[in-house]
Amino acid sequence: MNADAEWLDVACGAFLLAAVGVVWRRDAAASSRLLAVQGAALAAIAVVLGADRHHPELYAVAAGVGLLRAVVLPGILRRAVTASTEDRETRPLMNVGASLLATAGLVLLAYVAATPMVRLENTPAARALPVGLAVVLIGMLVLVTRRKALSQVTGFLLLDNGITAIAFLAAAGVPLLVEFGVSFDLLLAVLVLRVLTTRLRASFGSADLDDLRELHD
Amino acid sequence: MNELDITARTMTVSVVQVLVVLLGSPLLVGLMRFVRARMEGRVGAGVLQPWRDTVKLLRKHRLDPEGTGPAFRTAPVLGVAVGAVAAGAIPLMATGTAFGTGADMIAVIGLLALASAALALAGLDTATAFGGMGASREMTIAALAEPTILMAVFALSARVGSTNLPAIVAAGAAGASRLASPASLLAAVALAVVVLAECGRLPVDNPATHLELTMVHEAMVLEYSGPDLALVELGAAMRLTVLLGLWSSLFVPFGIATGTGLGVLLLGLLVFAAKTAVLGCVLAAGEVFMAKLRLFRVPELLAGSFLLGVLAVAASFFLD
Amino acid sequence: MDALLLLTPVGAASLAAAVYLLLGWRRITAHVASAASAIILADAIALAVHVTRRGPIDVASGWLHADALSAFMLLGIGTIALIATAASPAYLASHDGERDGSRRRYAVLVCLFLAAMATAVLAGNLGLAWIAIEATTIVTAFLVGHTGSRTALEAAWKYTVICSTGIALALLGLVMLYDAARHANLTETDALNYTLLTAHAHDLDTGVLRMAVAFLLLGFGAKAGLAPLHSWLPDAHSQAPAPVSALMSGVLLPVALSQILRVTAIANPALGTGYARTLLTVMGLGTLLLAAIALIRQRDYKRMLAYSSMEHMGLIAIGAAIGTPLALAAILLHIAGHGLAKAVAFTSAGHILATEHTTSIDRVKALARRQPVLAGIFAAALLALLGFPPFSLFASELALARAGFAAHLGLVIAAALILLLIAFAALAHHGGRMLLADADHDAPAPSPALSTRAYTPLITAVVVLAALGITVYPISSLLNAAAGVGH
Repeated sequence: MNADAEWLDVACGAFLLAAVGVVWRRDAAASSRLLAVQGAALAAIAVVLGADRHHPELYAVAAGVGLLRAVVLPGILRRAVTASTEDRETRPLMNVGASLLATAGLVLLAYVAATPMVRLENTPAARALPVGLAVVLIGMLVLVTRRKALSQVTGFLLLDNGITAIAFLAAAGVPLLVEFGVSFDLLLAVLVLRVLTTRLRASFGSADLDDLRELHD
Repeated sequence: MNELDITARTMTVSVVQVLVVLLGSPLLVGLMRFVRARMEGRVGAGVLQPWRDTVKLLRKHRLDPEGTGPAFRTAPVLGVAVGAVAAGAIPLMATGTAFGTGADMIAVIGLLALASAALALAGLDTATAFGGMGASREMTIAALAEPTILMAVFALSARVGSTNLPAIVAAGAAGASRLASPASLLAAVALAVVVLAECGRLPVDNPATHLELTMVHEAMVLEYSGPDLALVELGAAMRLTVLLGLWSSLFVPFGIATGTGLGVLLLGLLVFAAKTAVLGCVLAAGEVFMAKLRLFRVPELLAGSFLLGVLAVAASFFLD
Repeated sequence: MDALLLLTPVGAASLAAAVYLLLGWRRITAHVASAASAIILADAIALAVHVTRRGPIDVASGWLHADALSAFMLLGIGTIALIATAASPAYLASHDGERDGSRRRYAVLVCLFLAAMATAVLAGNLGLAWIAIEATTIVTAFLVGHTGSRTALEAAWKYTVICSTGIALALLGLVMLYDAARHANLTETDALNYTLLTAHAHDLDTGVLRMAVAFLLLGFGAKAGLAPLHSWLPDAHSQAPAPVSALMSGVLLPVALSQILRVTAIANPALGTGYARTLLTVMGLGTLLLAAIALIRQRDYKRMLAYSSMEHMGLIAIGAAIGTPLALAAILLHIAGHGLAKAVAFTSAGHILATEHTTSIDRVKALARRQPVLAGIFAAALLALLGFPPFSLFASELALARAGFAAHLGLVIAAALILLLIAFAALAHHGGRMLLADADHDAPAPSPALSTRAYTPLITAVVVLAALGITVYPISSLLNAAAGVGH
């Protein structure tokens, strides 16, 4: 294995482990730190791929991605956490042990499901694609099984990080303009969610999604 | 076919390993207690205290509680015997032991599980509340730890193509870059958690507790006294030494003796002793800062380590 | 000239947003949004004429693209935007207690919404379309929560989370599609271009394309209100201000569906019609089933209209599943008719809310006697939604059924018709109760009374709907050309 492939493996491993950490640690403050680590790992993946494929523009993309997903977005999340008095996910819909076992199943599912994409290319980057898909599935698991509003935002960010990782590891990302648009949209979406969380807390007294049950048939 | 690999060298290696573990494990336990005491601001009882305790206990009169049977009597001896066999099989100071292809990782893990199952049965045999409680807790933890071990073994063996311990350790010693791969790192963390669980160390079980309701291992052996207690303690110490040695051989195999020659073997022995001592001290220092997990949080920890094991297997298949 | 045609809608809407941002909501700026919508409509007509005579237009090397489908959707956007923005001043006036800031925010967001929708429809690149649709989620999040009540916030939260998740899944599909396209030797800028992708569909790797299409359909389906990611729809539509609900039902849902049509146009040549057909049939029938069941026990008339939207979207999805030119023409007509009818229905529902001060079906009674004109308009919209002739939904549903039987999907059509029947019964029952039930003796008089100026656009829309049901003469060539695009 050449050095680039090893660095890629380390970055992908850190990326996946950060997602596992979000499932393991239930409190939102730890989640924001783990998301920062994941953002840094994503930027590292972009840097390694840029060096490997000789695409210098990937360095700029890596810098942008790192700034957004390792600094700005976890920062917004952390400020939302400190603004609240309750930050522990006390009653998730699925307990942590079961979530971790489900995560194991999802990782294996991701490896199976991503075989068509892996088959397209015979490079270490393509072989690491299932990691991105696994993080997407883990993000959906967190979205579905958590009750606190901030935990849902965390799940959404995991989902998006996973999709970006797949974009980097597959062919050559998406066109630069689209990547820029996606990042901008993501930032705005998180800001919207942050504002809504504040209003929810002011209106309902807590951002526990179980309290949002007034609209139903 | 399992074939014993009996040459003069491998025989020497096995015998020396057994003797060193037998005599040196109380020393390791003493060292760990010493480090912990000093870090907590106490003077401590000295590194040789476990030896002194063993000698004292061996001189006492043998007592069996009323109503106990063979399970109670055989568990201590079995523990020591298993520790000795494991010490003879696992490549601790050299990559070739007398067991040859019989030194299969799954077999060794199974042996250690046998010892803990025997101790659990002994705890049940005493028919006391604490004995039963400790036995059920111990078995819960073991049941959750076994899948993790198997996953980690699988991850390590996938690379080499067999579960034979000398082969795995030799491959690790030969190619150092493989040790930094994600599969190796993940398996290392998973196995570390399992070692903590199997040896009854923090955060799974507190070996220094005197509160019966928080005990796991200690509760099973509450009724032992005299020579039996000495054997039980010795067995636990040997288990700790063997598992720490296994971990260091698998993931930090630098210095292990790969060739013949007395000098190389001696170096291997010294390196093994040093590595185990360092690991023990690190563990003891860490224990000063850790709190014991509540029992219903232990499955979370073990599920997490199982997940890491699964990831290690996936990484070893797909990331190479 | 071409560039001007394609850039005008976005430009007009953005300019209107800037005006509102700078000047706020005053008497002079109150109709700027309607003016922008009128400009969009005019541009759409010009574009439709140009496209049917001279074929598709490409601007900025394929990033902006207008074919018959785009022109048709833009026509729809312009019309419904006009109705909704014409009703906005009345809505904002009836909520007089609000500060000027929230009205300005409402107006700016509505104009940005129109700009994003126009971009999505005129995009020639799937990536640009995706960005535009994601932008609409962000813009409408605050519009849904505009009233600030607890239920509105809950609806806004659900809407944002579910739609963002769905759109993220669509992004995943997009990434996979890009991967397949690059491996089929399309260049970086062309790999997400509709026309090139449709042309090179056979070169795309089938395994990857299958996964990409599944995620794209799931993601865009979430925005269109199709099962399984549909649960935001009733909440968002019932809590949003009535003009916003009209815009969402009439514009947002169809635009998301048009993206689904573009995706199936890429999928069908490469994977055969069976794959996309199965996915869309399951999604469409599922949506219809959920909507029909939910309609039976409805107690809130705005939620009832929202579920009716879901029902029609399910029907359109089944039409997209059939995929023949007749089916596509039918669903395009259905999109137009449903959009108009739903816009009228939601706008009049907004007036009913303003005058009766309740959204409960039980508490609104004898509307026909208390407010005859409003009741007439509402009744006409409901009749259109139920599929009565002469309204165009009758013609489009009939054509859809014919297309389905012709394509040997008779069982699917039969199931859909049964579910439509259930929805018909529920809707008719609830609507009839609202309009014709005996009034309470001590019910207060409706207040405030509405002017004819507010009614005129609604009546015009109803008349257009009826005319469309009788003949599609003005837009028939456009309709046929658009159906050809999606095939």
